[in-house]
Formats: sequence, C-alpha cells, structure tokens
Amino acid sequence: MIASSHSADKKVYEIARLKNEVKEIRSTFLEGRTKLMRLKMESNVISVMKEKGINPSVIPPKKIKVKTKN
Amino acid sequence: MAVNEKSILNRLYFISGCMFVFGLAVMFKLFSIQFVDGEKYKALAEKRVVKDVIIPANRGNVYSVNGNLLATSIPKYDIRIDALTSSSKNFKEYLKPLSDSLAKFTGKSSAYYQKELQKARNNKNRYYLLARNIGYSDYVRIRNFPLLNLGAFKGGLIVEQTEKRERPMGGIAQRTIGYEREDEHGNVTRPGIDGAFGVKYLQGVDGKRKMQRIGKGQWKPLSDANEIEPKDGFDIYTTIDVNIQDIAHHALLKQLETYKAEHGCVVVMEVETGEIRAISNLGRTSKGTYYEKLNYAVGESHEPGSTFKLMAVAAALEDKVIDTSDVVDTEKGVLTFYGKKVRDSKWGGYGKISVSEAFEVSSNTGIVKAIHNAYKDKPEKFVDRLYAMNLDDTLQIPIIGEGKPVIPDPRIKNGKWSGIALQWMSYGYNVRLTPLQSLTFYNAIANDGEMVRPRFLKEVKEFGKTIEIFDKEIINKQVCSKETIKKLQQLLKNVVEKKHGTGHRLYSENFSMAGKTGTAQTEYWMEDWSENKRYISSFTGYFPADEPKYSCIVVIHKPDISVGYYGADVSGPVFKRIAQKIFTDTPLVDEVKALEIKKASVEKEYNGYYSLAQTYKTIMPNVVGLPAMDAVALLENMDVKLKVKLNGSGTIIKQSIDKSVKLKNNQTVVLNAS
Repeated sequence: MIASSHSADKKVYEIARLKNEVKEIRSTFLEGRTKLMRLKMESNVISVMKEKGINPSVIPPKKIKVKTKN
Repeated sequence: MAVNEKSILNRLYFISGCMFVFGLAVMFKLFSIQFVDGEKYKALAEKRVVKDVIIPANRGNVYSVNGNLLATSIPKYDIRIDALTSSSKNFKEYLKPLSDSLAKFTGKSSAYYQKELQKARNNKNRYYLLARNIGYSDYVRIRNFPLLNLGAFKGGLIVEQTEKRERPMGGIAQRTIGYEREDEHGNVTRPGIDGAFGVKYLQGVDGKRKMQRIGKGQWKPLSDANEIEPKDGFDIYTTIDVNIQDIAHHALLKQLETYKAEHGCVVVMEVETGEIRAISNLGRTSKGTYYEKLNYAVGESHEPGSTFKLMAVAAALEDKVIDTSDVVDTEKGVLTFYGKKVRDSKWGGYGKISVSEAFEVSSNTGIVKAIHNAYKDKPEKFVDRLYAMNLDDTLQIPIIGEGKPVIPDPRIKNGKWSGIALQWMSYGYNVRLTPLQSLTFYNAIANDGEMVRPRFLKEVKEFGKTIEIFDKEIINKQVCSKETIKKLQQLLKNVVEKKHGTGHRLYSENFSMAGKTGTAQTEYWMEDWSENKRYISSFTGYFPADEPKYSCIVVIHKPDISVGYYGADVSGPVFKRIAQKIFTDTPLVDEVKALEIKKASVEKEYNGYYSLAQTYKTIMPNVVGLPAMDAVALLENMDVKLKVKLNGSGTIIKQSIDKSVKLKNNQTVVLNAS
C-alpha cells in the first residue's frame, strides 16, 4: 500500500518534469520558427540582398512543362 | 523532616494526583479536538492537502493560408532576483561578472547593474526585476549567468512563467490577427480574428479535478467523480497569405512615411472566392512612427470620393439612362447646384467629353452632370439601384466593429437627403462606405457581377483533422447585367491603360491592372479647411485586367499635401507594388510536347560508354579518343581504386597505362588531353 502510493507519487513527479520539458521544447521550437519566419519574409530578404546589389526580379520565372505521351 | 513511611506516601499521592489531573486535561483536550471541533479541523487539514484545480485548456493556434503561424500561446518568463539570499562572499564575488553579463544582455551599462543590485541588497529587496517577458532561449541564457546559476537558494534566482499570446509576424497584421484580453473587471476586448473566433473555436473548455498535495510543491490527481477533462481549443486557418501580407504592409508603410500621412489601410482579396489575402492598417503615433492602431479597413466608413463614381456609373448604365458614349459638357470645370459648386481638379474643365472619358480622367463635373441629367426627377430610382447592388448592406463579417454604410434615401426624412444629395453622391460625397465595402463592390465587378462576402477563415482543425471548412458565400449572384459589367471593366482598364487616364502613371508593360483613383476631401466641413487642406487618397481595382485574380484597395488618409495628395501618386504605388509582387510570383507556364527526339550520335556515345563501363572493371580500357570527362568518370568508377591525373581538357590523346593491363589499388593513371 505504502510502496504503491510512493511509486504513484514518483510518477507524478516524472510527469511534471516531462510536462515542463515538453513546454520548454515547444517554446524553443516556436521561437525558432518565429525567427525563421522573420528571416525568410520577402521584405527582409530584399533588404539583406540590397547590400549585395541583388534586387527582386521584375519578370516572373518561366516554367517549361514537358508533356509526355504516356 | 523525618523520612517516614507516611510522608513518602503523601508525596506519592500528591504527585500521582497531579499526574491524574494532567492526564484528565489531556484526555479532555483530545476529546474536544476529536469530537467538538473535529469537523472544523478535518476540513482545514483537507484544504491544505486537497484542492480543486482548474486545468486550463490550450488556446488554439491561428495559421496563415500556407500554414505559417500567425498567433500561438507560448510561455514567457519574468526573471527576478532575491538580492538577500546569497552569502556575502558569493554576492561580492559574482556582482561584477553578473552585471557584465546583464549589461551585455540588455545593453545597459555594467555599472548601472552593479549599483542597482547593491542597492537592492542594501534595501533588502527580495524581488528585484531583471527581465520581463522574455522567451525561452533568453531565459536559458540568463539562468546560466554567474550567481544566478547557483539556483534559487544560493543565487536568488526567481523565475515566473506566464502563458502569453505571441504573434510571430510581430506588428504585421496585428490588428487583424487580433487578441482576446480580459481586464480586472471582467470586460473582454476582442479585436481581429483571434477575438472574433476566440469563444467559438480557439479557447477550448477548461478542465477541473481534485488534487492532493504530495510534497516538493507537486500535486497528485485524486480520483474524483466530478472530474472534467480540459478540451483544447481548435486551430484556425485563415486566408491571410504571409508573403502578400508582408509586401502589402511594407509598401503601405513606405508610402505613409513618404507622405507623412495620418493613417492608411490596404486590403487584398481573391476575386473568385472573396478570401482576404492581406489586410494592413497603419496609424501614426505622436512620434511619427506607424503601427497597427485600428482596423480601419473594417471599421472606418468615410466618404469614398471618386472611387464611388464606379457605383454611380454602374447604376446609371444598369438603368439604361446613360451610355458610356454619351457626351456631357463639363462646362469649364464648374457646376453650380443650389449655390454649391462642383469643381474639376483640372482648372477650366475638359470641354465636351464622353461619359467614359469623364470617368477615365475622373471629371467631377462630367459624372455629376451625367447623373444629374439622368436622375434629377427621380433620385429614388438611383438610390434604389444602389440598394439593389447591396451597397447599403453591412458585410456581416465576423470581426467586431464593422462600420455601417450610409446611402441616404430621399423618401426617408432624417436630414441626410438634400437638394444636392444626388449630385454629391454621384462623385462620392454624402455617402459613406468602409474600404472593405468598397472593395467588395469592385471585386464583384472583377468577378463578372458575382458579389462574394470577404472571408478571413478557411478551415478549423483539431490536431490536423478538419472540423469545419468555410466555403465562399455569395451576397448577390449578379449585381448588374453582364453587359454593364463589360462596360465597367473596360472603363476601369482604360483608367490605367489610356494616356489620359488618372491611373496611367501606374501603367506597366509587363502586367495589366484596372482600377479607379480617388482623391476625396475630408473634414471639409471644418472651418480651417481652406488653410489646412485634408484629403483621402485612394486606389481601388484589380489585376490582371483581363482575368482578374486579386482585387485590392489602398486608402491613405491625410497625406502631407506639400508632398502630394492625388490618389494615383499616394495610394497607387502600393497597389502597383502588390500587383507586381503577385505577378512576379506566378510563373509563366509554357507547355512543350514530348521531346523524344533521339540523336544518333548521342545515343552511340552513350552506348559506347555504357559497354566500356560494363566490360572493364579491373583491366585498363582504351580511353584515347574519349572525352576527358567520360574517361575520368569511367576510371574512377572501376572496381579498383585509381588515382586519375588529368592534364588538359577535351579528348584524351594519351594514357600512361596501356590497354588491357591489370590494374592495382591506388595506382596512378595519367591522362593527357588535347
């Protein structure tokens, strides 16, 4: 009885620890994702590339689609 | 005193009597605790070890149309320090390194922190704030600073975690993404999408259960019949496209800064479905910077000015009371009705021009005259036509705070109608629309007459599983006849394409646009208007002109007129930037039929190489005459490991090892090429 109650308590501690870990990992993931999103936004890319003398294209890319018979 | 039997006995009686009384007292107290106050103490004990805990439901995320996060809940940390708990030796030793680290983290000076921390210790401050609202990685960084890394008891680190709503895009579209906030009085403000769909989808249902204290500050769940599991909120997928939003935001911001305007907004809508791809609202602060202040696009109804000429002309064309080829006299640019003047922006007017030209050059007198002639005897017919085109209806979008349109009715006596109402309405005064309502009408014209409701929501999901899908909603299947639509589309196209059009400055060879400029006076009823002129510059339209994909409205309030105020100059460039961006992002697709033309020489070379590679695995082949790149590839891919040295490029003319010689590992082969 006492032993099983203790083992239950132990599991509660473990769960609390893991929950915390999940929260921390989740927030690092979201932070990374936020950073990435800011970095890859076009306005940001434009300002970074401007220093290197590269500007966005004024004409769209051309896509050539090859139709095969089969 | 003599020691005899009697005195010993007396003492014994006395002592045991005392003990008996004491024992009785204990018994009495025990009894009273157990039975008299028992209930009270039992409840008290339970309270200390068992409590009802509310398990908060996780609020759902808000995503963009391409799956980027727009709003989510993440933990944020407040870091404080108990300046008293560390030993004086530790405090002295780590004060400087800690201050250095903090200085590096915040940008304040190290001396500042040394002084402040010392002061906090002297004042016995056990709760000195170091950093507020920081993210997880910053928290980890601070946690490892000197002194703080000793932990809560030795170092005095205090960490408080709160769940905060975070928008990864920052200030972009902040007002439209929105939030839900409750103040201490329980009043809730709910702007934007997050607010509008908070209760229904995002917030979920909090759970509840009994927990028992088990030490180390932990609580363990007790089995409880009244237990409620928390139900997490759903995720919502909006129609916002992060890329278009980003471009729209920055294009608007740039234009507002250039023209030092008071505020402005831009909305991009997909023509066919009514999905809002971008919505940006920027207002100026007292410092001259801009941020998402209010949702102007949804909430602010104002006199649209010349962009309303489209609605006026649409009504008249639909009633067949004018045609685009009708000629009107602009009368030297001034018309007078009841002593009030309608003026053209061009001094002296445009002479006698057709209705379509009047529209393209945005002649106030031209349009006013055409509408006046057509409807002067029956203005209610004009108004009824506008009503039939749903211009008097709110859009009933879920975002809270939509502005109401105003279109006065001559039959209703509420002080809004007057002798000049019809004339003033025809060029966009005396009526009020929000930018989103104007856009919805223009979108209907672009969509061949089908008016669709602007939409912000695409899907509601739970763990990636679809709960609800939102389809396009049609407000009016056909706002006016196809014939009228065709004429209106041509007019809007001409505004940009024709040399005399007010939007011609936006013309681009690469891509087509159609739209209407608007330069409306605002606050002209105020006395100081003539000294301090204020305008609303707008551009509303769609692109590409022929098969419209997106419609867009740009409205900029009160630009600095010393810089400029015409719709085409102030708002047009924002429109063009967005059109250009979408144009350059959409690849031109060329379809080519199968390219199965076999070239004999290529086939032959390939087969020759293939058979060589299959035959020679450990024996040197003859590579003279082969192209250098084939020869090297052939030798390097053999079963034995060779070191190939190549001099020159082109075809091989000499090989250092003769044909058919057995090769060894790590042997070097020298090839000379032409």
